[in-house]
Amino acid sequence: MATVAPGVPTGPYHAVLDHIHPEPTSFIRKYIFSIDAKVIGIQYMITGAIFFVIAGLLAEIIRTQLLSPHGAIISAATYNSVYSMHGSAMVWFVVIPLLTGAFGNFVMPMQIGARDVAFPWLNLVAFWIFPVAGVILFSSFLVGAPDAGWTEYPPISLMGPPGTNLWCIAVFLIGVSSTMTGINFLVTMYKMRAPGMTFTRMPLFVWAQLATTPLLFIATTALGAALAALFIERVFGVPFYDPKRGGSPVLWQHMFWFYSHPAVYIMIIPGFGIISEVLPTFARKPIFGYKMIAFSSVAISLLSFSVWAHHMFTSGMVPWLQLPFMIITMVIAIPTGVKIFSWMATLWGGSINWKTPALYATGFLITFTYGGLTGFFLAAVPADYHEHGTYFVVAHFHYVLYGGSIMSMFAGIYYWWPKMTGRMYNEKLGQLQFWLTFIGFNATFTPMHWLGLLGMPRRVATYDPQFTFWNQFATISSYVMALGTVLFFYILFDSFRNGKKAGPNPWGARTLEWMVSSPPPYYNFKKIPAVLAAPYDFGNPLPYLGLDAAPGATEATPTHASHPVPTY
Amino acid sequence: MAVSVASHGHAHDDHGGHDDIIYQETRDMRLMGFVLFLVSDVVLFSSYIFAYIYLRNSIQPTWPPIVNGHQLPRLDTAFAAFNSVVLFGSGVTMHYALENWKHANKRGFNLFMWLTIFLGLGFLGGQGYEYAHAQIGGWNGNIFGASFFTLTGMHGIHVFLGVCFLFALWIQTRLGVYTQDKFFGLTAGTLYWHFVDVIWVVLFFLFYLW
Repeated sequence: MATVAPGVPTGPYHAVLDHIHPEPTSFIRKYIFSIDAKVIGIQYMITGAIFFVIAGLLAEIIRTQLLSPHGAIISAATYNSVYSMHGSAMVWFVVIPLLTGAFGNFVMPMQIGARDVAFPWLNLVAFWIFPVAGVILFSSFLVGAPDAGWTEYPPISLMGPPGTNLWCIAVFLIGVSSTMTGINFLVTMYKMRAPGMTFTRMPLFVWAQLATTPLLFIATTALGAALAALFIERVFGVPFYDPKRGGSPVLWQHMFWFYSHPAVYIMIIPGFGIISEVLPTFARKPIFGYKMIAFSSVAISLLSFSVWAHHMFTSGMVPWLQLPFMIITMVIAIPTGVKIFSWMATLWGGSINWKTPALYATGFLITFTYGGLTGFFLAAVPADYHEHGTYFVVAHFHYVLYGGSIMSMFAGIYYWWPKMTGRMYNEKLGQLQFWLTFIGFNATFTPMHWLGLLGMPRRVATYDPQFTFWNQFATISSYVMALGTVLFFYILFDSFRNGKKAGPNPWGARTLEWMVSSPPPYYNFKKIPAVLAAPYDFGNPLPYLGLDAAPGATEATPTHASHPVPTY
Repeated sequence: MAVSVASHGHAHDDHGGHDDIIYQETRDMRLMGFVLFLVSDVVLFSSYIFAYIYLRNSIQPTWPPIVNGHQLPRLDTAFAAFNSVVLFGSGVTMHYALENWKHANKRGFNLFMWLTIFLGLGFLGGQGYEYAHAQIGGWNGNIFGASFFTLTGMHGIHVFLGVCFLFALWIQTRLGVYTQDKFFGLTAGTLYWHFVDVIWVVLFFLFYLW
């Protein structure tokens, strides 16, 4: 095997890495139907942001409705549709595409030293399914939006309005898109790493994406099957779920949660990856427990396939099955705890640079741990009998989804914003935005734990007057969060107009995407670098050979980027 | 752009030209991607198989179910066994089609490719015959019909797409897309066809023998 430097074996896929293809010149091929993973990542981000605003407005309608015990603004039927669409949109059209499609596409190929993903055209198709599916989802409001919650349990979903059919189609399509992305990313990470980048030298964000891919292309297919069965039952009357005709509503719950429990890890493991990049960079310290963080992602990913029925303790499933599901669910706390303690140890004794990404990453540690602990309550069968279907569940999953996924995404956007645009954001406003979001978020969702334990049921348009104070408190706090979100978009807008030039590496980070200019050139690297070590050894020289700035990299600037040619 | 061929001329046994290395690497990537696609397709079938077993075991006391006091008949195992032999035979002919391609035997390849396509169509015809004669209450009549027609129908769609796939591959061979060394499409088509075969083994057991 030839070597690029002593001790650095070239990967077997070196020629593809170096392969060169012309950069498109037309506007449409460059910005609309681009096959460049960085452009596709930003397209995902913009589309996801639009859906985030729509789904966030739906959330504010829910909170405003709950200002009064009798329902302040909309009818109970409309309320059902609003919370169903809020959940569906946030899960499938915001968090999953943003964490995998947006961050994965923009960051992961650069971090492994590749010029693009393995199948750029598949990537293009996977992205364009996403806005189309989103339009189908929201157009269900025109014909009567689904009203059985984001989980669409039969038999209510069988009796739901016509928009439920559109919901099935939209979620099925986004599932196809996720499957494509999962396969594409796994092949990319397996085959296209830069020479010398062994598995244990990969950045932890790449490890997180790697651990997510099997969830994307295995679990999502099970959801597709469940959705297709719901669709044909609703449209052609084929009995799967209708108990009157021999079907079983619990069957839907099994098929749905076999996907949707792994899906919650699709929604958090890439977030773990972002936190693992942000914390060492801002603590100026090597990450604590690199291998443990990497392997615990994989452990969570594998375990997540065997815990789905903890969502179904009250569904009438056989009692002897509840115990193993409870225990395996609690076992997931071990790899998660390994991560939390590794991150805390990374901060410990560090010289922490409290920029906005660091604030968000630390805030994430607090809120996500809190959400994880309430998850422990819900995993315990006896406690779950009391808490199931109450606001305690709502509080729990918003702590892990907003306090976990969305906070990690905020951290990631502030962190990589200079890389995407070449400009800095306003640091003071960024920190103000963090505090608005963090305080608003906690004040909105903490009271819901108490409301839930007192027995306030979720998914109801009205509530008992004894719950009025904390509901109004939560609603007012949610407006603070909304204000934080408005400020967030203002900060991004402001950065385009007034942002300082960022330079290639404003944070002094050490992963490969920071070794190229901001925004990165089409081809990412003039010459594919060789990797000597994992990227987190702050204080040591950079572990890369053959970078553009390094002596010896004297080639002319390529006008091309890499996409493997489809020779047959 | 200075891409040095020499620095990559490793681990690639034959030829050694830059295009050949690119071909081998992209072929490996596409092969992995295609296998992962088949894995996710296995999950699709597994989900419906789970649904069938779940409904059969926990909902119905007898199988085939009793609908409105009328005991539904079992499916025609003998005919299905004959039809299965047709499909498995197409797997054998597909194997020989690929082998003939590798040995540059164009005539043998054409013969076996078309045999495969005809056997595939024959299987679909047999399935159509069976659908017309199955007395189990139709697709939307009861859970037996629902599981049977959904699963075998989905398999049938896979066979149909497979036949289209093979036909497209045959056209490609006529257009000179593949050479004796570069034939990834044929490999993918063969894998897909064997995959469809194996799924049928499971379905045959579940619906006709169980």
